[in-house]
Amino acid sequence: MSEMMVRLKSRNNLIVTQMVVTGLTVIVGMIFGIIMLLVQGGMIEAMPATFYQFLTIHGTFMIGAAALAATAIMWYFLSHYVELSKKILKINLVLFIIAAVMVTVGTFSFEYAGAWTFLYPLPALSASAWGTIGALFYLIGMLVMGVGFLLLFIDSGRAIIKKYGSLGKGLGWDVIIGKKAEKDAPPPAVVASTMVTIVNTTALLSGSTVLIMNIINVINPAFTFNPLLAKNLTYAFGHIFANATIYMGVIVVYELLARYTKRPWNSSRVFLVFWTMSTFFTLLVYPHHLLMDSVMPRWMLIMGQVLSYANGLPVLVVTAYGALMIVYKSGIKWDMASGLAYLSMLGWTIGVIPAIVDSAIVVNHVMHNTKWVPGHFHMYMGLGVIAMTFSFMYFLAKNDNGLKETMVDKTAFFMYMFGLIGVSGSFLTSGAISTPRRFATHLPEWMGPAQFGAVAGILVVIAITIFVIHFIRYISVRNKGNIGSDYYDKKLA
Amino acid sequence: MKQTKLGILLYVILIIPPITTYMESIMLVHMLIQFPLLILAGWLIGEWVLERWPYHFLKWDANGIAGIILVIFITTYWMFPRAMDESLTIWHIELFKFISLPLVGILLRNSWRKLTIIGRSFVFLNYLSMFGLMGWFYIDSPVQICNNYLEIEQQMLGWGFVVITGIMIVYVLQKCFISGTKSNVNQI
Ligand code: HEM
Ligand SMILES: [Cu+2]
Repeated sequence: MSEMMVRLKSRNNLIVTQMVVTGLTVIVGMIFGIIMLLVQGGMIEAMPATFYQFLTIHGTFMIGAAALAATAIMWYFLSHYVELSKKILKINLVLFIIAAVMVTVGTFSFEYAGAWTFLYPLPALSASAWGTIGALFYLIGMLVMGVGFLLLFIDSGRAIIKKYGSLGKGLGWDVIIGKKAEKDAPPPAVVASTMVTIVNTTALLSGSTVLIMNIINVINPAFTFNPLLAKNLTYAFGHIFANATIYMGVIVVYELLARYTKRPWNSSRVFLVFWTMSTFFTLLVYPHHLLMDSVMPRWMLIMGQVLSYANGLPVLVVTAYGALMIVYKSGIKWDMASGLAYLSMLGWTIGVIPAIVDSAIVVNHVMHNTKWVPGHFHMYMGLGVIAMTFSFMYFLAKNDNGLKETMVDKTAFFMYMFGLIGVSGSFLTSGAISTPRRFATHLPEWMGPAQFGAVAGILVVIAITIFVIHFIRYISVRNKGNIGSDYYDKKLA
Repeated sequence: MKQTKLGILLYVILIIPPITTYMESIMLVHMLIQFPLLILAGWLIGEWVLERWPYHFLKWDANGIAGIILVIFITTYWMFPRAMDESLTIWHIELFKFISLPLVGILLRNSWRKLTIIGRSFVFLNYLSMFGLMGWFYIDSPVQICNNYLEIEQQMLGWGFVVITGIMIVYVLQKCFISGTKSNVNQI
């Protein structure tokens, strides 16, 4: 093996480890999701307190896993263009695992159940449902996770600035204003990574501020803070961080389709403009979580509403359009990776529609805090980001070893698709009949959709287990054989 | 050794009793002017210290991490309102202040240039959010935190922190978006 190959192998090893951790976290998280639906559907008994512990673990693990997977995707492809630090990638994974353990201990051993949004002053004011220790385990765990991701984005920012000159140039601003030709524009993977670097650094800084604030308040409840500012910071963190996963995940769509169709996916000027728009919108739309807080400045709420319409759309449009164009008459061979990449675009597109509906203030008055909300984000997280994740896994398996996909994988693909549409559909239905979200106990007339969702959820977990098994098979094969048939890697080597 | 002389001069000025008393009588000046000046004095004196004991610094703090951790600990300690309060009433805490903060300066001078750019950015961004939090904390606190300072002074200090945070944000933005010079690097 050449030196280059050794380097590539060690890089891929890290990415593979990270994806395995993700896959397992997703499975565990989904099982808790199913249990919650079973409880809500009245099919099994559980104390409400237990339900809220599950809700906390599910939300935290899922968002965490989605972020971990998405950063792996971003890292893998971005490292083809700029020089990233493997050490930082490793540190992030280690911190993530430590954080996951802390969160689990806080939730299960010390009964913290304040949900992944840890909205002030809930961590401290639990009516004795949990104590200081549980809250501290959870909050400090989240802080540890934040440290890892912050390091990662500092590194990507550093690398992009080093290569392209500034983050603005990473977004292609000099191409937009015409100082540079379109053909010299940064590739889509770099544009997306720059965007995410900007928004996630912001999110993590506001998140860490509000986390430490919560920690102070938990330790000494005499120190109180302005709850409205706390809520703003919390959702600036939560919204952006969750939302950014899809902007990292989408990199696999760009890179994969370019490879499969052997056509380059270049950044056009429109593409760059739209990504820049989404960068700003993503930073500004979080007030849509505060539409019920009438004390918020009115202009912020209106901004939250209006920009929510526009938030994801620019990127979605250029990406969906680009994806259609690149495939058109390309003679692409469909397999699991490209199929999942396409499915993710579908999930993203359908998921955005109910989200946009809900961010209208009039609709929000009705739908706020109903299950409509998990309905839309399960669609674009579950069918969007998670599909991108597994698309990436199948891509790695195929590119590295040409591991064969079987009928089982194909069946799993459809199980996954219909299962997740079922889960989201059941949430949306619940929302439409005004079932509140985050209620451990449902009235009898609310139970039907929850029961249906639980069954659909089981399908999803089976499908995802099959995906993960395929990936683990690839690892065992790859340890024997050699690696690196990635077209772009070959060029590097 | 020009810097060292300046540093010593600054330090001496800072410990002249009327000046010390005056600075400490206003909360904002105490925390946001006296503290940083003490650190600056240490940083200047660091010129001589680093030259005098280069091997020690090489041996104990080769990559800057040990030093910066100590810096973080000391500065975090001094951000506790209680520490500041006690320095006014307990003489050995005051003494500790006049030793530890210049030490921060010396350590900083040694560590900062040894840190990688990732390390530096990380430390900087952490202080950014910490100062933001401090601003919030002091402005919002419903109670008088220190025995020696009034609530209104607390709020002034808080706004001071907010201004500093704002300046740091502007600095980050210009660093990331403007100062890039190598625009035409276009290797694959
Ligand atoms: C088999 C698949 C899944 C099932 C059965 C499931 C089930 C659930 C249930 C029952 C809830 C609580 C709904 C309520 O508020 O009453 C929930 C919330 C949530 N789920 Fe899922 N879920 C699944 C997949 C996912 C995925 C893939 C993600 C993200 C990547 C995700 C992220 C979340 C988040 C962020 C919440 C909100 C937690 C909170 O309200 O604090 N879930 N899920
Ligand atoms: Cu949102």
